[in-house]
This record gives sequence, C-alpha cells and structure tokens, in this order.
Amino acid sequence: MTAAVAAVGRSGARQLSVLGGLARFVVRAVRAAARLTRAGRWVMLRVLINQIRFTALQAIGLVAFLAAILAFLVISQSIRQLGRFGAVNNLGTIMVVAVIRELGPLLTALIVVSRSGTAIAAEMATNRVMGEVTALEAMGIDPYIYLVLPRMLGAIVSVATLMVVFDAVALTSGFVAAATNGMGFQRYASIVLHTLSAKDVWLTLAKGVFFGAAVALFCSYHGLAVKAGPTEIPQAVTRGVVATIVAIFVMSALFVAIAT
Amino acid sequence: MTDLRGSRFLSASAPEVPGAPPLAYRDVDLLGRPERPDRRFSLTVEPEAVVAAIGDERSGIEALGQLALGLRAPTAGSVTVYGLPIAELPYYDLLVFRRRVGYLPAGDGLLQNLSLKDNVALPVRFATDHRLREVESRVSQLIEDFRLRAAAATRPAQASEEDRRRAAAARAVALNPGLVVLELPFDGLTSRVAAELLDRVSRRDDGGRRAILLTSHDLTLSVRNLVTRTVRVVDGAALEETK
Repeated sequence: MTAAVAAVGRSGARQLSVLGGLARFVVRAVRAAARLTRAGRWVMLRVLINQIRFTALQAIGLVAFLAAILAFLVISQSIRQLGRFGAVNNLGTIMVVAVIRELGPLLTALIVVSRSGTAIAAEMATNRVMGEVTALEAMGIDPYIYLVLPRMLGAIVSVATLMVVFDAVALTSGFVAAATNGMGFQRYASIVLHTLSAKDVWLTLAKGVFFGAAVALFCSYHGLAVKAGPTEIPQAVTRGVVATIVAIFVMSALFVAIAT
Repeated sequence: MTDLRGSRFLSASAPEVPGAPPLAYRDVDLLGRPERPDRRFSLTVEPEAVVAAIGDERSGIEALGQLALGLRAPTAGSVTVYGLPIAELPYYDLLVFRRRVGYLPAGDGLLQNLSLKDNVALPVRFATDHRLREVESRVSQLIEDFRLRAAAATRPAQASEEDRRRAAAARAVALNPGLVVLELPFDGLTSRVAAELLDRVSRRDDGGRRAILLTSHDLTLSVRNLVTRTVRVVDGAALEETK
C-alpha cells in the first residue's frame, strides 16, 4: 500500500517538475523577445516566415481537405437525422458548436502537431545533440531568441490562420452537403449565420493563440531537454507530441468551461 | 570596417578588473578527481600571448575551452576571464560577457541549417545593436579576410573541412574579441592553412594582437613558430612549459 502511494507521489512530483520546468521555459521565451537586436529582428523574421510557410502554407491543402470531409459528413448525417424529427433548424447549432467551435480547432491543432510539432521537437533535439545550442550560448546568443521565439510566433500565427481556413472550408462544404440533401443556400446561410456569433470568432482566434503556443512550447521544451545523445531524439519527439495533445484537449475543456 | 566596440550589447555586462590577465586558471580540477589535489591545473594567458595547451585525450585539455567560456563551472579552483570568475556570473550577464571571448569549439560548432556566411554573421546579428547594413559590411569583411567567398553560400555539410574551420574561426573573431579560445582548431588541416588561420585569428582589427589559448594534441612546426608559450598537460596538470 505504502509503495503504491509512494509511486503515485513520485509520478505526481515528476509531472509537477515538468510543469515547473515548462513554466520557466515559457517565461524565458517571452523575456527573450525583449533582448532582440535590430539585425536579430530581421533574422528572426526570416526564420518566422520560414516557419509559417512550413506550418501554415504547406498544411493548407490537408486542413482544407479534412475540413471539407468532416463538415460534409456531419451536415449530411445531421440533415437526415434532424429531418426525421423536424428539427433541421438545429443544423446551425451543430455546424457552429460542433464543427466550428470544437472540432475545427482540435483537428487543426492535431494536424499542426503531427506535421510541425514533430519537426520542431526533432530539430531542437538535433540542435542540442549536435552541440549547436552550446555554440549559440558560447557566442553570447540566447538560444530562446534564435530557436524558440520564432517557432512560437510562427506556430501561433499558423494555427490561428489554419483555423480560419478550416472554418471557411467547413462552412462551404456544409453548404454543399446541405444542397445535396435538398436545402437551398438561403436557408442554410440563414440557419448557420443565426447561430454564428462574434464570440465564435474570438474563441477561434484565442484557441489559435493558445494551441499554437502549446505546439511550439511543448515540442521545443522536450526537444531541448535531450541530454544523452541521438538515440534520445525519437523519445523526445514522442514526449513532445503526447504532451501537446494532452495540453490541447485540456485547454479545449477549459475553453468550454470558461466560454459557457 | 564596422567598429563593434561601442555596441551596448557588448558593453552592458559586468566590467572587467583593470590589469587582470585575459584568462587565468588557478588550481583547477580538469578531470573531476577531488581525491587528487596534487593534479591541479594552473595557467595564465597574458594579453597578446598565444598559449598552446597540448595533451592527449586523457589529459583534460577538452575541458579548458568550456571552463574559459563559463559553459562549465570548475569543481575545484577558479577560472577568471579579465579578472572575473566567469562561471559565477548570472546567466544573462554571462551571455553578454561571453561576447568578449571568441570561441572555436572542437569540431567547429557550426549551425548545420545555415550557410557558412550566415554562421559567420550570427554573432554580429544577434549580439550587437548595429544596423543591418553595418552588420553586412562587417560580415563581408570577415568573409574576405578568411578567404570564404567561394564557399560562403554552402552549408557546413557541403563544405570542405578547411572551409568549415575558416568559417568557425571567422565567427570566433566576428565581435573583435580580445581573447580567443580555440579547441583542437587544426585537426585535419595542413600546416600551411593552420598557420595562416592562427595568424589571422591572432590579429585584432586595430592592428594589435589578441590573447589566444589553443588546445591541441600536437602542433606542427609552422604553428609552433607562431605560439608564444607551450604548456604540456598530463593527467590534469600542466607538467612542463617551454618558451
């Protein structure tokens, strides 16, 4: 019994230690922004644009494809089921609450984690193993400025942008699904727009910021935590991705709790 | 050439102690053996001196560079740079203070996803507050001085050993430091290139000489001719010293 309690305590302490380390990591990354030099800003901008190109631009096709499929399926099924009870007017609620507000941000963040989160964690871990982080520190360059900050800003901008893309494609695809089930554009637009509010726009943007920051920070943190050598890189990537996914689901729940 | 000395990012850290040598090791335990107080390392690198610390893989010379940069704290004894115990500085002060010390780590330490030119530019871009144009002028000068024009756009993995080492040396002196630490800088280079690099690294922008500590397993004659003092490190201690 004592051993079991001790094991739980050890695990809890380990998780708290990770959270503490992560909190320090976030503070250092944010503080790093104040130490950017003039020329450094240009370099960071270049890294940032690259990050956005990789995280957002190259993922648009995938996000749009998945948004179209998801919205088409959800709306097609909903119209048929709701039609049986004469509750087609609730289609807007399903579209906005389920797809736009909850599934869209979740799916978008998961796509970014699987594409860019893995890349960020692997790159950071490689930087650490190859001694590049030490080389930066030896030159008097804060690794948080060069490595973490542009990726964090890039991920925030990318996730927020991709969420908007997801919503736009989902709304369009929803209309196609509605049209194939005999619903006209006017009616579809009126039902959906009646449910859509300014709060949904703010929620989407807020989720973009928080989910994007989580992708970059968790993956960077676990990537830079590598110590032993190259064999630890895949483990760091796994840790980073799993932690990010858990964080995104927890934040999603918190958003629901706060927003309602 | 862009004068970097006025940059607030170079001067905004703990002031150096007047008259202190650029680098001094006092009774440092290089091999992590507290039970052997008789095997301690002491060495002073005077201004404008080129000091070579020679030793094999088990001598402890691998630790000298990291100790000089404050990347590692001595477990016994002290390491001072311009009179300051560098490992005791707070992290951000330490980062700024390190800009006064050029460093060529073993292996070269170049960032693999940057071109050789961008590697050279890195410290000037991030560690000074100069305008982009001034930074580019400084980088172009370094590229010329270290004969890197032909290879400037290549990544480290595509460049030759010699070009990588030239880029790493150019990066080490990019901020015009008074002290440079070179870790095994000449491995895999011909003696002509090694001597040329050492001569270039030792010359300051204002025509004076830099203080240099270089570690090596051995020195060729052409390099030995440029060295002011040679210290042989055996089993963690400086055994003999030859002029």
